[in-house]
Amino acid sequence: MHNFGYDEEGWTGSLAEHRIWQRILRYSASHVPGLSLAVLLSLLVTVGTLALPRLMQIGIDRHLMATDLPAATRLDGLALVTIGYALAVAAVFLAGFLQVVVLERVGQSIMHAMRGDLFARLLELDLAFFNKNPVGRLVTRLTNDIQNMYEMFTSVMVTLFNDFLKMAGILVLLFLMNFRLAMLMVLFVPLSLYITIVFSRLARTQFRAIRRQLARLNSFLQESISGLSIIQLFARQTDSLRRFRALSEGYFAQTMGQIRLFGIFMPLTEFMSSLAIALIVWYGGGEVIRKELTLGELVAFLSYMRLFFQPMRELSQKYSIVQSAMASAERIFDLLDTRAEICSPEVPVIPEVVRGAIVFDRVGFSYGPGQQILRDINLTVSPGETVAVVGATGAGKSTLFNLLIRFHDPQQGRILLDGVDLRQYTVQDLRTIVGVVMQDVFILPDTLLANIVLETGVSRVRVEEIINRTGMAAFVAGLPAGLDTRIGEGNLELSGGEKQLLAFARVLCRDPAVLLLDEATASVDTITENILEQTVAASFRNRTSLVIAHRLSTVRRADRIVVMEGGRIREEGTHGQLMEKGGIYHNLVLLDLQAAGNDQDGD
Amino acid sequence: MTGRVREDSTPAVGNGQLRSVQALLLPLFSRYGIRLLLGFVSLAGVDLLQLLIPRFLKTAVDSLSAGTASQHSLAGISTLIVAAAVAAALLRFCWRYLIIGFSRLVERDVRNRIYAHVLKMDRPFFEKHTTGDIMAHVSNDLAAVQMACGLGLVSAVDAVVMTSAAIGFMLYINIPLTLLALLPMPLLAVSTMILTGRLHNRFNLVQEQFSLLTEFVRSALVSIRLLKAYTMEGLQRNEFEKLGRQYVRSNIRVAVIQGLLAPLATLVGNLGMLMVLYFGGRFAIQGTISLGDFVAVVTYLAMLVWPMMAIGWVISLTQRGLTSLKRIHNLVTTAPVLQDLPETETPVPAVPSFRLDHLTFTYSQAAHPALRDISLELAPGVYGITGRTGCGKSTLAKLLVRLYPVPDRTLFMNGRDVNTMSLDEVRSRIAYVGQDAVLFSETIAANIAYGLPEATPAQMEAAARAASIHEEILALPQGYETVIGERGVTLSGGQRQRLALARALISNRPVLIVDDALAALDVETEHQVLRAMRTSGRRQLILIVSQRIKLLSETDEIIILEQGEVADRGQHQDLLARSAFYRSMHAKQAREGARSAPGNAEVLGQ
Repeated sequence: MHNFGYDEEGWTGSLAEHRIWQRILRYSASHVPGLSLAVLLSLLVTVGTLALPRLMQIGIDRHLMATDLPAATRLDGLALVTIGYALAVAAVFLAGFLQVVVLERVGQSIMHAMRGDLFARLLELDLAFFNKNPVGRLVTRLTNDIQNMYEMFTSVMVTLFNDFLKMAGILVLLFLMNFRLAMLMVLFVPLSLYITIVFSRLARTQFRAIRRQLARLNSFLQESISGLSIIQLFARQTDSLRRFRALSEGYFAQTMGQIRLFGIFMPLTEFMSSLAIALIVWYGGGEVIRKELTLGELVAFLSYMRLFFQPMRELSQKYSIVQSAMASAERIFDLLDTRAEICSPEVPVIPEVVRGAIVFDRVGFSYGPGQQILRDINLTVSPGETVAVVGATGAGKSTLFNLLIRFHDPQQGRILLDGVDLRQYTVQDLRTIVGVVMQDVFILPDTLLANIVLETGVSRVRVEEIINRTGMAAFVAGLPAGLDTRIGEGNLELSGGEKQLLAFARVLCRDPAVLLLDEATASVDTITENILEQTVAASFRNRTSLVIAHRLSTVRRADRIVVMEGGRIREEGTHGQLMEKGGIYHNLVLLDLQAAGNDQDGD
Repeated sequence: MTGRVREDSTPAVGNGQLRSVQALLLPLFSRYGIRLLLGFVSLAGVDLLQLLIPRFLKTAVDSLSAGTASQHSLAGISTLIVAAAVAAALLRFCWRYLIIGFSRLVERDVRNRIYAHVLKMDRPFFEKHTTGDIMAHVSNDLAAVQMACGLGLVSAVDAVVMTSAAIGFMLYINIPLTLLALLPMPLLAVSTMILTGRLHNRFNLVQEQFSLLTEFVRSALVSIRLLKAYTMEGLQRNEFEKLGRQYVRSNIRVAVIQGLLAPLATLVGNLGMLMVLYFGGRFAIQGTISLGDFVAVVTYLAMLVWPMMAIGWVISLTQRGLTSLKRIHNLVTTAPVLQDLPETETPVPAVPSFRLDHLTFTYSQAAHPALRDISLELAPGVYGITGRTGCGKSTLAKLLVRLYPVPDRTLFMNGRDVNTMSLDEVRSRIAYVGQDAVLFSETIAANIAYGLPEATPAQMEAAARAASIHEEILALPQGYETVIGERGVTLSGGQRQRLALARALISNRPVLIVDDALAALDVETEHQVLRAMRTSGRRQLILIVSQRIKLLSETDEIIILEQGEVADRGQHQDLLARSAFYRSMHAKQAREGARSAPGNAEVLGQ
């Protein structure tokens, strides 16, 4: 799912968010040794880098310029300085390498932890949340947002620290060499910072405009490709091309804006560093003439100035990385802070013997204002009873199930299991007591057995026993390797009916006291259909069962039929009673049979 | 020297790549030739100015060292430096604007070209190229080409100019010292190349694992209700943890190489400095070179580090750009299988008709024909087409609207072989509603008017009423002006289908083909829609592909397809008496109500 960045516009990264920094630091807390090592290594890099021009200067001043000493002494001195230089070079290289690796390890570990937390949180959230938040956006949290954070950790946090250290070190050295010249150089700092900040703001605005335009362009393209037949059949190619070109032109204009912006800023920083050189030559040269500065120091000044401007140049880039990371962090923590509305109580009721008595007590439910799905539902299901629920789409049958396994909580009334409100059990317990067989299953790419057992630890023997008892043996025997057949993506694909059988096996392994069945509507071949019928019959035995029925055979098997319409229970009774009553159920049956024609009397 | 390294390391450029450069880029290079020329002139100017500054410095240092410098002469040199810097800044803006701008122009033009080409493509093409593929071409490949044409080009030119100029100046100062200073440079080029290759492989692995991770999360979240219903959260968390660990490990493997690459350029630069310090120092002490020369060599050497780093980068950028360009070229040179002919002026016959004469059709990837030897006459009237899944009924509908190519002299419209007519000529007479209701992220009105751009609001309303969607449109927040799709309201499957139907109905074309598109409607609505279809407009030939007995029973004639052949045709009652298949279908639907219709899966229908 591409969202093309549409939904991220409302977020802006603020650098001054204490709360967010605190939480980021909390994630870093367990990596203090690694981070300290990284900082130490980067210090070493800095010291080494700064030492190089200094050594060069020593070489020039003490040996090259020392014309009064004998050449041999000067050459020996030079060799010594060279050795020092070589050591510094090696240290810079090694420390630089180690720093990258250490930082990567730390950064990746932190991201790994964050990703894990985020995923765990997502799994806990309730369905109301998922209805509001498209999956594409949530995936973005786990991918792009985490990636942004990672970039900040690895390429900014330590280097930023390093850069400040380096700049401070350079300034100290400059001041030691020549106070007034150094003062002159310091003037460049606020100027550079000002330019950088202004530029970063402009660049960010521009970048967003580009992203927006690109998102528009890409979604138009994607839609056109998937709807190409329609464009062609209605002969709208010219119009479509014209609109695409307009979007393309809009994107182009935005990118040109970015080029102009960078075209002004980038040369400006270069210009500043040249200006600094000119100042050093003019003023520093004068100081040399006045003997306030040695020539070697002047050369060192020039080198240091270059080193000084390097981080300045990258500052704006780093600034924007941090900014986008902060925006990502905000989104990530926001998600981590989202609490499921449906959660287990502080002091839950721990069920001991479960009988499976269900009571809907004046239950009302809506997904939002004006969308009342269930109204005043009163329904009592005795332990061991089988109830079939029928009604048209939107009558509220599935919602009834969703409330029973607490995918949602009712707004009005309550639902009792064995006389206790569902909300007093832990969600985990409830979903173990109430097993649900849906139309679809989530299949792990693994063997059938593993897909049945999941995390329950049920033995193979027990699984085989359940399969035999419920008539599923024929289904398993029909697979190439029986229970050990690998299923899921890239392996054997199960049909709709077979998926429902797997769902049955899964749920029956947990031996739930209450069974909810949403009967498969997908076309089911005759063999699977026969197996399913046996399984349904065997599963309902000795169990409170509720079924959203799509087969007349199932409806007939029920002890009671509940007819829903418009979110209310309109009729209740056995097939015979309801047919006799001549109400909605009767009409539904007749209508359906009418459609079937005259030569059949329906089942 | 470095020039040679570049040449040796340039990857063999394949024939296909050359051809794609010729076909796609050369015209653009010549169209924007002046812009490029000016851009390169500016770039060269910047490089020269940058090289001038060390010369000024050398003069200053030498004069200071010789004691000939005065505050006045220093001020002069400073002024020259500032002047050079101002000129450089201006020229820098110019090359950015001209050359990077060129890359954006290339991007824009190639993108428009891709789209114009995609609009011409047919269904067989899209069976081979998924939407994702094409999106990848348009985003990733285009980005790679843009990078190569922009920063890649700049860096390449810059690196060459800078290296040769800096080396030239150095050689001018002192030849042996220059050679010594450059000694470590080949090391950089060679190791960069080796490491970049490794990095590429390891990085691909990271990308792969990243997609695995993303796909894992996506599929888990899409099926969140299933995960919860079967309490599989713990399992998923563990699995995710495992995948995450693998991802971390691969990333660290990448970091090891990156960790070597990044400080390498610095290392080589510093090694060069080391050589200069030692040998240059000796030369200076021995009096072979002046102190100013020494400083100038140091400065030039510092200037070389960046181009050396850039070379490895430019090579990989160019490589990627060329590969992408070739992919794009392949895309835009794929010709549609379905050949179009120029429009011919033919009188529109009053009565639309189709004739299929021994039509056999096989999908390009399939082993068996989807339709075999079909001969049919379709005169005005309402036809139902039915049969098992995969019997070829949808294929037939798609062939009629010319979504796939047909053999010559097998399909005739109004007595003419469709292969002698332009696509638009055929299509403009048919309103087609497909199985999946494709709508665009625009207003409802715009979506309906897609079938008739000049439609009045009254016409739209009439079409919407005929498709039984008018009331529901009015119930939406902005009625007909409601935006639908990604950025607007989401419609249900049934609503989308009825909207697609309204779009077809408003076009008021003489033939209407509805391919199983009413499946998401309930029986009652379906009735209304069928009635409306019969009465609205001047439509004279209606073809409905359906599995629903009830709908079929209301057509004038039903055609049953079986494994791509016409198994039977006739009226509802006749078929009930005659066709075993039709009877069993009928009996099954009687038993199961509307079960066969997904989305309306109620036991007892309505």
